[in-house]
Amino acid sequence: MSINLEQAKSGQQPLPGQTAKTPAPANRLMSTRTGSKLVRDYWDNLFTARERGATVVWYNGAAINPILQAAGVEYCHGEAFGARLAAMHLEGPAQQAGESYGYINELCSYARTTIGCALLTQKGAADNVEMDEHPDIPPKEIMASRLPAPDFFVNAYAGCSTGQQWDEISYRLFNKKLPFFKISYPLLWGNKPDAGYIRGEEWETASRYVADQIYKLIEFLEFQTGRKFDWDALRESMFYIKKAAELRLEALDLCAARPTPAVFWDWIASIAPINFLPGTPALVDYFAEMKAEIEQRLKDNVSALPNERYRLMFDGIMNWNKVGWLANKFAEHDAAVICGRYTHTSFWNEPHFIDPEDPILGMAKHYLLCPFNHSAKNLGEVMLRDCEKFGLDGIVFHATRTCRSASNGQMVVAQMAQKKGLQTMFFEGDVADESFYKDEVLQSRLEAMLETIDVQRARIA
Amino acid sequence: MASSQKENEIIQSLADIAADPSAYASAWKQRTGGKVVGIMPMNFPGELVHAAGALPVVVQEDRATITLGRSLIYEFYCGYTRSLVDQSATGKFEGYDAFLIVDHCVALLGAIDAMRFEIPDTPIYLAQFTASMDEPWSPPQVRGRIDELRARLEELCGRKIADGDIATSIAAFNRNRGLLRRIYDLRRSGVAPITSRQMQALVKSAMVMDIDEHSARLEELVPLLEARTAEASRLPKLHLSGNFCHAPHPELLDMIESCGVVVVDDDLYTGYRYIATDVPADGDPAEALTRWYFNRNTNVPCSTRAQKSADWEGYLAKAVEKSGASGIIILIAKFCEPHMLYYPELRKELRRREIPHLVIETEHEGLPLEMLKTRVEALVEHIKRPVRSAEAV
Ligand code: SF4
Ligand code: SF4
Repeated sequence: MSINLEQAKSGQQPLPGQTAKTPAPANRLMSTRTGSKLVRDYWDNLFTARERGATVVWYNGAAINPILQAAGVEYCHGEAFGARLAAMHLEGPAQQAGESYGYINELCSYARTTIGCALLTQKGAADNVEMDEHPDIPPKEIMASRLPAPDFFVNAYAGCSTGQQWDEISYRLFNKKLPFFKISYPLLWGNKPDAGYIRGEEWETASRYVADQIYKLIEFLEFQTGRKFDWDALRESMFYIKKAAELRLEALDLCAARPTPAVFWDWIASIAPINFLPGTPALVDYFAEMKAEIEQRLKDNVSALPNERYRLMFDGIMNWNKVGWLANKFAEHDAAVICGRYTHTSFWNEPHFIDPEDPILGMAKHYLLCPFNHSAKNLGEVMLRDCEKFGLDGIVFHATRTCRSASNGQMVVAQMAQKKGLQTMFFEGDVADESFYKDEVLQSRLEAMLETIDVQRARIA
Repeated sequence: MASSQKENEIIQSLADIAADPSAYASAWKQRTGGKVVGIMPMNFPGELVHAAGALPVVVQEDRATITLGRSLIYEFYCGYTRSLVDQSATGKFEGYDAFLIVDHCVALLGAIDAMRFEIPDTPIYLAQFTASMDEPWSPPQVRGRIDELRARLEELCGRKIADGDIATSIAAFNRNRGLLRRIYDLRRSGVAPITSRQMQALVKSAMVMDIDEHSARLEELVPLLEARTAEASRLPKLHLSGNFCHAPHPELLDMIESCGVVVVDDDLYTGYRYIATDVPADGDPAEALTRWYFNRNTNVPCSTRAQKSADWEGYLAKAVEKSGASGIIILIAKFCEPHMLYYPELRKELRRREIPHLVIETEHEGLPLEMLKTRVEALVEHIKRPVRSAEAV
C-alpha cells in the first residue's frame, strides 16, 4: 500500500530521484483493455467498409459521430486515426508521405499524419498526387493506408483554425470532387462581463448557432444518403452516450480519493471510446466496468501508484507516442497525475446538457466545449476548480510544439495557478511527432517541481 | 526640386511614419483628441473605426527582441504573435484605447488572449468572422459581427455611427486603395521601378495613418510616378508571395533585389493583398463591408479562410502571367500554420506550370541573409537558364 500524505509531509520519504528503489510502474486499470478491444474492432470493421459497400465519411473535430451513425454512414475521425497511429508508433510512413508532399515539420503533426494517410489511401495516388521520392515510404500494406477512401467530408473542428483548414486540403487532395460540409464555431472568448464557463449570453448565442448548423448537417446527410435521417436512432444513441458519460464522470470523481485509485493515463486510454464509439449498451457497459473496477480498488485499498506522494494535473493535448512511457515516468517519481484538461473538460463532460429526446442543442454545447475552444480566463476557471476538487499540488503543462491550439493560454493559466500556490512546470513535446520530445527536459523539470513541492510542504509543516 | 527627389521625399516621409506608428498615433491623438484603435490583421474593416472618428491602426510587428513576452507565449508561435504579446508586456501599447479583431488564426487568438491578461484595462474585443466562406449562413453571421463592432465602437467613441459616416469612410479607403493599386500598375508595367522596400513603406503607412492624409500624399506621388519615362528593366522579374499578417523585414527585400532581379508584383499582406479589393460603394454600407470580406478572398485567396472554390495557386499563376514575372519567392513566416498547410498546394501548381519558385521562412529574430542570398542567386540562375526543368529550387 502507498504511503499517505502525512508520511510524505513528514519528510520520511527521500527526495525524488534520490532513491535506490526500483522504478514503480503505474498500476493501470484492467478494464481499459475492454475499451481497447472495442476500439480495435471498430477500426477493423471500418477498414472493410468499402468491401461491404458502406458509405464512408471522413470527419474532423467534434464528436458528431452519433449524427453520422443515425444517418447510416460509417465514419473515420481523422485525428483519432492520427492519434492511433502515433500511439502504435506507426505514424512514420504517413508523416513521411506528408513531408514528401511538401509539409514543413512545424505544421500540426495530426494534420501531417492524417493528410499523409489520405495521400497513401487515395486510389491511384501515384498518378494523382505528386510526392517527392522518399526511401522510407513503404508499400500500401501499411496501417496508414488502410483507411477506406471517403465518399464525403465533414469538418466540425472547434478551437483551431488549422483543424478547419486541414479538411480544405483533404478536399483538394481528392480533386475537389467530393461533397464537403463544414460546421463553424466561435471561440468561447467572452467579450461581455457575464461571460464565463458555460454561462453568459455569448455562450447561449454560440450554442444556438452551432445547433442550427447541426440541423443543416442533417439535411446534407439526408441529401447525400438519399435517406430520411433516423431521429429515433439518434435519440437512442444519445441516451447511451449520456449514460456512459455520466458513468465516466462519476468514475473520474472517485479519483479525488487519496491515494487515487486511477490516474490520468487510464482516462487517456478511454478517450477513444467516449470520443467516437457508437452510442450502444456496449459503451455504457464499458464505463460501468471502469467505474466498478475503481470502486473495487477503493474498497480494497488498491491505489494507482504504490507510493503516491504528489498529485498533479496534466495540461495540453496528449503526447500520443509517449503515453505508456509518460505514465511510468511519473509513477517512478511517485507522482500521480490525477486529472487533465484533455480528459476532464471534454468528451460529453457536461451530460446534464443532453436531453436524449431532443438532443441537438445539448450536443452543440458539447461541441463548443472542446478543451481548446476556451479563452485563458475560462481555462483558468475550470482548471483551478479541478485542482481544488482533486487536491492537487501542481500542473504539468505539455507545451505542444505543433499544436498552438492546445498551447494557447497555458502560460497565462500557469501564472494564475502560481498565484494560488500551485507549482507548475512545462515540457516540450508534441501530439504525434516524437522528434520534439526531450526526455532530459521533462526529467529535470519534473524533479525540480517535485522538490519544490517537498520544500513547500516542509515549510507548512 | 527634381521630381525624383520629390518622389523620394514623399516615400521617405511615409516610410518614417511606417517605422514608428506609435509616434504618429500619439501625435494624431494629441492633435484630434480622438481614440486610437489597434486593429488586427488580416480582415478587419478599418472603415468602421474611421467612421467612428477614431484612428484605425493595423498593429505592426515591432523589431525589438522578444523579452517579457517569453513568459506569456511560446517560442514556437510566429514572430508576429510573439511580438504582439511582447509589445503589450513592455508597455508599447499604452497609446491604444482598444484592440479589435475579427480573424481566427489560432496563433493570433492565443496572442490576443495573452495580451488581454497583460493589459487588462485596455478593451480587446473579438468579433470573430466566420472563416468558412461557402455556406449561405456565413454572410449573415459576419454581418452580425459587423453590427456588434459598430455598437462597440459607438460605445468606445461616445458617438453614433450613421450609415452616411460608414459610406464616407468606405469612399476614403477605396480612394486610398485605388491610388496604391495605381502605383502597383506602374510598377508592373516597368514605368515606375519602385523597390520592394519602398512599396512596403507605402502600404504599411496606409495601414497606420489617417487615410485622407495618406491619400493626399499619394495624390502628390502618383503624378510624379506617371510622368516617369523609365525603360522597363531587362532583369528577371519576380513575384513575392505570402508573409501573412506583417511585413517582411526590408533588409530581406533588399537582399533579394540585390541578386540581379526586379520585383514587379506581390501578394504580401503588407502589399497587394491589403489593397487589392474595394468595398462595394453601393447599397447598405454595413452590408457592403460584409460583401467586401467575401470578395477579398475570391479576389486574392488566402489560406486563413476556408473556401472550396478559392484557389490561391490559380491566382498566383495568373498574377505571374499578368506581370511577366518568371519566378516566385514565397515568404512563409516561420510557424505560420495556415501558410505551411497550404504551401504544398501552391508547390504542386507551380511545378505543374513550370514556374520556378523558392521558399524562404521569415523569422522575427535575425535572418541568415548570406545563406539565403545563395539560394536566391540559385533561383535567378535557374530562371536565366535557357532550358530549365520544372523543379523548384
Ligand atoms: S493544431 Fe492542434 S487543435 Fe489544431 S488541428 Fe492540429 S492537433 Fe488539432
Ligand atoms: S496567419 Fe500566420 S502570420 Fe498571421 S498570426 Fe497566424 S500564424 Fe501568425
